[in-house]
Amino acid sequence: MLSYVLAGLGLGSIYAIAAGSLVITYVASGIFNLAFAAMAYSVARFYYWLLVEEGWGIVPSALVSLFVFAPALGMFLYAVLFRHLRLRSTLVKLMATVGLSVALPPLVQLVLEQPTNTQAPGLAPRPLDVFKVFGSTINADQLATYIGLVVVLVVGVGLLRFTNVGLKVRALVDSEALTSLSGTSPGRVSLGVWAASATLAGLAGILLAPTQGLSVQSMTFLMSAAFAAVVAAKLRSLPLAVAVALVMGVTTNVLEKFIDPSSEFGAVIKPAIPFIFMLLFLLFYALRGQAGDLVAGGALDRAIATQGGDPSVVSAVTGGSNRRILNPSVLAGVVIVGIVFLMPGMLDKFWSGLLATGIAIAIALLSYTLVTGEGGMVWLSQITFAGGGAVLSAELVRNWGWEPLVAVLVAAVFIVPVGVILGLLTIRLGNLYVALVTLTFGSLITTLVFRRDPYYNFGSGQPMPRPEYSTTNDDFAYLALAVFVILAILIVNVRRSTAGLAMSAVRFSENGAKTLGISVVQTKVLVSGLATFTAAVGGGFIAMSNGSTLPDSFDPAGGLVWLAVLVTMGARSNIAALIAGVMFIMMPQVFQTYVDHDYADIPIILFGLGALGLALHPEGVVAQTGNNIMSLVRKITGRRGSDGETPVPPGTPGASGPVRSETDDPLLTPATRGEAATITAGGQA
Amino acid sequence: MSTALHAPQAATPGTEAPRLEARGVTVRFGGLVANKDVDLAVGSQQIVGLVGPNGAGKSTLFAVLSGLLRPTSGRVFMDGEDVTGTSPQKRAARGLARTFQHPELFSSLSVREHLVLAYRMKNAKSRIWTDLLNFRGFASSPKAEDQRVDELVESLQLGAIQHRPAAGLPLGSARLLEIARALAREPRVLLLDEPSSGLDVRETEEVAEVLKSVVRDHGVSLLMVEHDVELVLGMSDAVHVLDFGVKIAGGTPAEVRRDPAVRAAYLGEEIEKPAVQRAEAEIEQGELA
Repeated sequence: MLSYVLAGLGLGSIYAIAAGSLVITYVASGIFNLAFAAMAYSVARFYYWLLVEEGWGIVPSALVSLFVFAPALGMFLYAVLFRHLRLRSTLVKLMATVGLSVALPPLVQLVLEQPTNTQAPGLAPRPLDVFKVFGSTINADQLATYIGLVVVLVVGVGLLRFTNVGLKVRALVDSEALTSLSGTSPGRVSLGVWAASATLAGLAGILLAPTQGLSVQSMTFLMSAAFAAVVAAKLRSLPLAVAVALVMGVTTNVLEKFIDPSSEFGAVIKPAIPFIFMLLFLLFYALRGQAGDLVAGGALDRAIATQGGDPSVVSAVTGGSNRRILNPSVLAGVVIVGIVFLMPGMLDKFWSGLLATGIAIAIALLSYTLVTGEGGMVWLSQITFAGGGAVLSAELVRNWGWEPLVAVLVAAVFIVPVGVILGLLTIRLGNLYVALVTLTFGSLITTLVFRRDPYYNFGSGQPMPRPEYSTTNDDFAYLALAVFVILAILIVNVRRSTAGLAMSAVRFSENGAKTLGISVVQTKVLVSGLATFTAAVGGGFIAMSNGSTLPDSFDPAGGLVWLAVLVTMGARSNIAALIAGVMFIMMPQVFQTYVDHDYADIPIILFGLGALGLALHPEGVVAQTGNNIMSLVRKITGRRGSDGETPVPPGTPGASGPVRSETDDPLLTPATRGEAATITAGGQA
Repeated sequence: MSTALHAPQAATPGTEAPRLEARGVTVRFGGLVANKDVDLAVGSQQIVGLVGPNGAGKSTLFAVLSGLLRPTSGRVFMDGEDVTGTSPQKRAARGLARTFQHPELFSSLSVREHLVLAYRMKNAKSRIWTDLLNFRGFASSPKAEDQRVDELVESLQLGAIQHRPAAGLPLGSARLLEIARALAREPRVLLLDEPSSGLDVRETEEVAEVLKSVVRDHGVSLLMVEHDVELVLGMSDAVHVLDFGVKIAGGTPAEVRRDPAVRAAYLGEEIEKPAVQRAEAEIEQGELA
């Protein structure tokens, strides 16, 4: 029994370092670092390069990786990215870290290349020493993990509790604004926090690599498992996060004593442990009404916080009120769809096949248009719903002989309740919980379903034929485009409908919406259900396009890339989804074919950087380009803008004060815009 | 006052239960008592003012009355029925609408869309679901809806900005829009949190006229938090005064105006112009000295 506990403590220690790092970074910076896995991979890859490829010793490799490279990486990322996010909305912060998680690993691989063998040595010398503890054996890697956790806790708690630096960090957590007024530079403290955060991420990555492999996927799985402890800690309690992480690790291993891990049930239950923990804590907090996105900082921080800059918000404000049926964006959409319609005739079989897959992915991306663009939420399980649609429709075709298109639509209907239940569990807890839970759910389903036979089938999955009337690439591209257009029209209908108005209301002011009689949960669950259906249909089409389900293509890490691509193009535009889908598939191939095979990941890096650019251009590339073109047309024709862009007419009540147009600065706070500033407590009574 | 004493009272024959009533409402945030044992009632077609210095607990009481905050103890009744545990949506369905101290607008929606949404939430709530299936999002609005929205746009002078997104509206327009949105909900009780803030004197008078007319013509009851004391005393049938979370006075405007506790705590020298002049003279003398 003791040996199971000791082995479990090893896994739990890695979870604990990851969870502790996520909690410390969140409370100290207000940013939940979804790029933790990417940072862990980057540092671990650098360590591997020094240790294995350059032949350095363990100690110098570890010292340089953890105390030079990792802090430098953290500080660099703070300087170029995180410091710009300090006052941004939760959605922008999440999206920027998603962008980083997408861009960073391929950037590292561009320089250092992905190692062919993902089994990497840890911090202990090879061959591994074995020690006897109370009659049980532990190896040197496990010992290194325990020591790692103890050092992190002793140094971390000591620094935070007993030093001047710790005092400043804790002051920053309580109120950044007041801390800066007292003469402390929040920037300098945050710089240190991010340096420490990158070091902890790197330590977790290096410790994890020997058992789970040196890959982005394994690091993402670690991060999503650690989310369970973070949720249990309600994002803030370091001791609780560490304790739950350790218990999770021990439980996972102790179960092996009672349940054969190679049995059917054992194989299912083991990877599900983090999700089960998360589910239990979610239910516990939800029933006690204790969870929810916490408002960080003091009254002054809330008063100056930037609620704008949210990709869905800004694009909605800049273009959302134009509800005429024939408007410039509709005309642009017709032109883009027309161009895509003409493309199959101009491309050879290979490229038209890629185009068809790109359009299929665009269908799945429309789910983000709904859930992020309209609903203002970050769901990280859309790719899992797509995978579910692919697997289920393939099963309907294989086992029941259904017509493929019917199978795709019916499978999508069956997937909808999954999204609705996830929504009901998480939505009332806030945006951050939605992101954490959906990513963990995605990892769970990937492990439990997609990577298990008969669905996995050595990575090729199950066959998924195309409908008889569209077996060629060109015909299938047309079919996919037709379905895309139908779904896009449905989304436009949603946007223009009463439900669309209610969604906008909920996104901008939940209190305002509630007092109008709108149910916030019902509205968000509605959009989540629609998005789940759309994602599942997209998944079915991706499988039909590939001729097989290819379960690996629905990995949650890939879902982050999908989201980054879509947000880069425009979170609220159907046409952006079409362009994003086509570019996601075709651009790497263009680079591989016409530039260099080694540069195939460049587009992925660009998409990640595009998502990072949200802080500057929240409306996305497509909408931004459209706005620029419209401005140019107006300038040339000398026409004035629509109502939304003209100044408030003279004589408008309260217009005597300074008024700026929304387009002047899309990141203006509601308070500075003179509207919708929400002071949740401590306001003038 | 204990909760047990505040059991719902059935309206006696011939008397109507207040449209909205707070009995013994207490709200604690940790050690801070924001409201302590507050009683308040708003009768049919009554205008009731709620005043008090900053930090008196007025907005907290509004949050309790509208269902956004559960009281630590005490009850809230609408038409004699206990609604303490019901959601803001349920209270909205019973005819409660409110505005906020900091306008809670939906930035991407146009001014007109705010009113359309509020109107539909009252008169066609099922459209949240049915519009998705029957594509009414592409159809023009029903005539009755257009007519009601036009009336509100006109009466609150929102015509020039009706197609603008709410983002970027000046504070005064935002306040009027919130009032219009609340009225589009065709409420029976309307809670107004500082409706005149951001408006000039003429606009304030016009808003006051609109509010009086909705009370007079549509039978709406008003509960109003307002810093413009003269506006409250001039409009209200009854006024309640809060200070440090405790109700220190309540009665007709004349009674409240005379109440020494009120004058000490809040109104003070503000409405006693000679006293203000005396104070100013003293300050002036001090500066000269």
